[in-house]
Amino acid sequence: MAEGKTIRLKIRRQDGPDKPSRWEEFSLPYRPKMNVISCLMEVQKYPVTSDGKVTSPVVWECNCLEEVCGACTMNINGQARQACSALIDQLQQPVVLEPLTKFPLIRDLMVDRQIMFDNLKKVRAWIPIDGTYDLGPGPRMAEVKRQWAYELSKCMTCGCCMEACPQINARSKFIGPAAISQVRLFNAHPTGEMNKHERLAALLDEGGIADCGNAQNCVQACPKQIPLTTSLADLNRETNKFAVSRWLRK
Amino acid sequence: MSSVQSPYHFLIRRIHSLLGLLPIGVFLTFHLFLNLSAQGGAALYDKVIGTMRNFPGIFVIELIVIFIPIAVHAVYGTWVVYTGQSNLLKYRYARNWFYIIQRVSGLYTVVFVITHVWALRVGEASFAALQHLVTNPWGLVFYALGIIFAVFHFANGLWAFAITWGLTVGPHSQKIWSYVCTLLFIVITVVGLSDLSAFLR
Ligand code: HEM
Ligand code: SF4
Ligand code: SF4
Ligand code: FES
Repeated sequence: MAEGKTIRLKIRRQDGPDKPSRWEEFSLPYRPKMNVISCLMEVQKYPVTSDGKVTSPVVWECNCLEEVCGACTMNINGQARQACSALIDQLQQPVVLEPLTKFPLIRDLMVDRQIMFDNLKKVRAWIPIDGTYDLGPGPRMAEVKRQWAYELSKCMTCGCCMEACPQINARSKFIGPAAISQVRLFNAHPTGEMNKHERLAALLDEGGIADCGNAQNCVQACPKQIPLTTSLADLNRETNKFAVSRWLRK
Repeated sequence: MSSVQSPYHFLIRRIHSLLGLLPIGVFLTFHLFLNLSAQGGAALYDKVIGTMRNFPGIFVIELIVIFIPIAVHAVYGTWVVYTGQSNLLKYRYARNWFYIIQRVSGLYTVVFVITHVWALRVGEASFAALQHLVTNPWGLVFYALGIIFAVFHFANGLWAFAITWGLTVGPHSQKIWSYVCTLLFIVITVVGLSDLSAFLR
């Protein structure tokens, strides 16, 4: 593309959780194949706004730079996605950057996604194999099952699905589709299956699976194409069976 | 996670879902089909209403089969609406539209049902009474919207119902089921609106 072109960024800034927010615009010299992170790095090197005002460098998070860690998730032109895989050449300008809205803000584009990890703990999204002696090899997993379960394992706890879900907000305790889908993953695992009941029980709680409103935004928003709505419907079936069976055996 | 669990949350949501179909949805369908008798003119219609009203124990049946389920579904539904926060402006997917219309139609239905029952069940129900209501243009719009929204809510509710009960799990079956629900929406709406048209002649 032509020389002398610029990239325009419009960033929602906020100095801290209780500070007021403001917009700041930056213009950077165009280079081909830039992404939002590399633009933010330019801003960091030279934190001066388009109208020449010196400002503080913009704060953001990133880690893997290859869309597998989820750390750099932010709202880019209104949609939650990863900054590292958001290519400038494919974005409308000015590129509007805002922090995720469903998580507590730390500073600028950095939010605290701890709640997602707490939710994974709530639903026991792990396989308990720790003990005092070697348990030996576990049961084998059927290949067909492994194939679809692998898709679920791609979740990087990025929060795009949480950001897109209308049922996640200050008035609701919904844990969101990501943690729920992990229940399906760990229940599919032949060893994980042994503790299936604990994870299903957790889904019956307030904020559990029943709080989904079937807007199905999550499945569209997920950058890893995880079949979240299939997981939700499948676990609806499983939790129904589980709840009835548990009650009948009481 | 606490070791003692109160699964009431899950139970209430499932009861809410079940009530939407049984008895409310079935009643709504039955109610709209029965009112096709208005097409037969005032005399026939008043006779049908008379039979219904003089049915032995009708009050208890209505209370248990209609009023209480609708009240429970509506009160809890309103709470559910409160716990949501639409983001249509950012995520303009069809299903996100349906999500919000499901809620708007539910709320409208509350207002509609209360008014409707107030006017016709507490007040006098007859061909003439309804004719009086719908010959007023605002009354007509209020009634037509009431029918369309209630039926939409039921049809789209059925689509969600199949997910809530884990019947349609994958995207393909959900899509096919959405076609069936659309068809139901069209058929029941046409029936409902032709009920209404009978009072305009
Ligand atoms: C004409 C009467 C009504 C019928 C036939 C009806 C039917 C249904 C059905 C079948 C569902 C689907 C349940 C599911 O998701 O599994 C539903 C959901 C719902 N209804 Fe109703 N309903 C009626 C009135 C109302 C009223 C008055 C409200 C009050 C606002 C309401 C609010 C809701 C809400 C918010 C949902 C969504 C629940 C969720 O997504 O979890 N409904 N309804
Ligand atoms: S389908 Fe459920 S979890 Fe997914 S966005 Fe809608 S309400 Fe949220
Ligand atoms: S399910 Fe998808 S959108 Fe949600 S946290 Fe995991 S990777 Fe992100
Ligand atoms: S830095 Fe890991 S996903 Fe972007």
